[in-house]
Amino acid sequence: MVELMLEQEVAGFTYFRRHASSLDLRLLLLVFGSLALVSLIIAAGFAAVGAWLIIPFAGVEIAALGAAACMIVRRAGDFERLAFSGDRILVEVRERGVARRFEFHRGWAQLVTGAKGSVALRSHGREVEIGRFCGEDGRRALVRELRGRLGSKRI
Amino acid sequence: MEAVHGHTNDHSHDDHAHKPSGIMRWVQSTNHKDIGTMYLWFSFTMFLVGGVMALIIRSELFQPGLQIVKPEFFNSMTTYHGLIMVFGAIMPAFVGFANWLIPMQIGAPDMAFPRMNNLSFWLLPPAALLLIAAQFMPGGGAGVGWTLYAPLSTQAGPAMDLTIFAVHILGMSSIMGSINIITTILNMRAPGMTMMKMPMFCWTWLITAYLLVAVMPVLAGAVTMTLTDRHFGTHFFNAAGGGDPVLYQHIFWFFGHPEVYIIAIPAFGVISQVIPAFSRKPLFGYASMVYATASIAILSFMVWAHHMYTAGMPVEAQLYFMYATVLIAVPTGVKVFNWVATMWKGSLTFETPMLFALGFLFLFTLGGFTGLVLSIVPVDVQLHDTYYVVAHFHYVMVAGALFSAFAGIYFWLPKWTGRMYNETLGKWHFWLSLVFFNVTFFVQHFLGLAGMPRRIPDYALQFAEFNAISSIGAFGFGLSQLLFLYIVIKTITSGEKAADRQWEGADSLEWTHLPSPAPWHSFETPPVVK
Repeated sequence: MVELMLEQEVAGFTYFRRHASSLDLRLLLLVFGSLALVSLIIAAGFAAVGAWLIIPFAGVEIAALGAAACMIVRRAGDFERLAFSGDRILVEVRERGVARRFEFHRGWAQLVTGAKGSVALRSHGREVEIGRFCGEDGRRALVRELRGRLGSKRI
Repeated sequence: MEAVHGHTNDHSHDDHAHKPSGIMRWVQSTNHKDIGTMYLWFSFTMFLVGGVMALIIRSELFQPGLQIVKPEFFNSMTTYHGLIMVFGAIMPAFVGFANWLIPMQIGAPDMAFPRMNNLSFWLLPPAALLLIAAQFMPGGGAGVGWTLYAPLSTQAGPAMDLTIFAVHILGMSSIMGSINIITTILNMRAPGMTMMKMPMFCWTWLITAYLLVAVMPVLAGAVTMTLTDRHFGTHFFNAAGGGDPVLYQHIFWFFGHPEVYIIAIPAFGVISQVIPAFSRKPLFGYASMVYATASIAILSFMVWAHHMYTAGMPVEAQLYFMYATVLIAVPTGVKVFNWVATMWKGSLTFETPMLFALGFLFLFTLGGFTGLVLSIVPVDVQLHDTYYVVAHFHYVMVAGALFSAFAGIYFWLPKWTGRMYNETLGKWHFWLSLVFFNVTFFVQHFLGLAGMPRRIPDYALQFAEFNAISSIGAFGFGLSQLLFLYIVIKTITSGEKAADRQWEGADSLEWTHLPSPAPWHSFETPPVVK
């Protein structure tokens, strides 16, 4: 569930990823509302003629739909941005509404990988995971890109 | 964590080098292509199980009298043949198509909720095992028909409880699958992939998922009320306790009729991809196809009682349901005429997918016509519960859904496997299926018109000839499907390399933007659709 924008800038390199979001909030509410309304009308109709046991199932289903909608909304604003500017590397991460910002020196930053393919930037005891919004292939592409840039400038 | 060293391979090589292997690849997979593959193999396995049940039925009906099985077992076979084919074979087949194709067709890297996708598949095997295990319960399988009508179902043996549990699990799987499909299609489209640029297959699945979300709680409620009537002293469907067995029929068919379209609408989607590709023309009347599909879905909620004209209802209600049912012919006609118009003056070729699509078009239309016949109340009163109805719904389900699934498999097999099937064998499969299907089911119209009731292991001598013909056709049709299995396995193991765009008329993203076979991870960088 990611969208990638990889820009090659004159001043440096910027990597930006965010969750795909082709559904705006208004449309999401409309979709969820229409599905919930139809399910409830059907369940209420049958309850009116005595078949009330459809209501709990409609309720569970609407709750599941609601949970899916909430996850989409929570993910919608999440992003990850990594920018090279001179000797500085700026990493901005927004996940579940919480934004964090890290700054590394290009000469000291080290790229590290975890056992399950996770990737992080580390320097002076600080570490930030990057490439979380992309799959394995995307992370490998990012590693390729960063490795050259970090390595060539390493002091 | 460890520092990165060494050379990183190019993208295409990575894709295969890092693909997990072994059984855990399939158990834990969250990859939409793997899960799609599992759905398709599962559905084919269940198709064979349901097919064996059909052959047991047709063996018994080959001659009048009771020769092979006991009546109770025969009833059990008719019940589980229906349940397994509908819930175990056809529905999972189209969910398999959805898993494989929707992300690739909208330019997404995977489904919106990959872990839920894994779970919704892995719920299916336990449900299938429950349906099969029901045969071995004391008293045998529940011989209540796939509709599980009360009061028979409230009085059936313990196999009924397993069946109810299986239906619940299948329903949960469908709900999760539907939520995933809706969120994937709406939220994960690539930049520029507007709703009205989506391939028809995606549209049909979006509408189908809506239908599933609307009706699955109804089915779950119906079987739960059956369960509580059986074990917890409620009287929802027990007339002696103030309940109403006809209420069950209303509830079931409120689910059951949309269920017909839950099966048919994705089939329409497949056909809407195949016919333009082999006509070398865009789909005629794309927007009208979308609106017609939505209209069919909406109307499917308003016609349920045409399945129960003989259950007793006011004449006004019969008239309403008759006219509403006839109305469905309008959007269905729009679709059929659009497919024909797509072919009109096209550069047609007749490879196997196109043959199956044309077979679908001809036979599904025939099934639609017999549906119109049955929608007329006085005719239906005569033909209700006869073999005419059996013939009608097999023309819709087998020639409609199954032929469409075959068309889709032959169409996308080169993209899925990277290998081309044997065209000659594919055509043999089509012609054998077409001929034997009609040998099996066309004669059943005559049996129904002559008054042969359905769901009976024995019959009057006057029906003997047509039943013998039908049984021969059924065995021929069943054996023809083994040829299909051979073709698929041969394609996977030793098929010739397929081109990235095997069909030059195919223009959706999976053909224009991805190699064959489609890489394990695709569209991590979304395409920009112009």
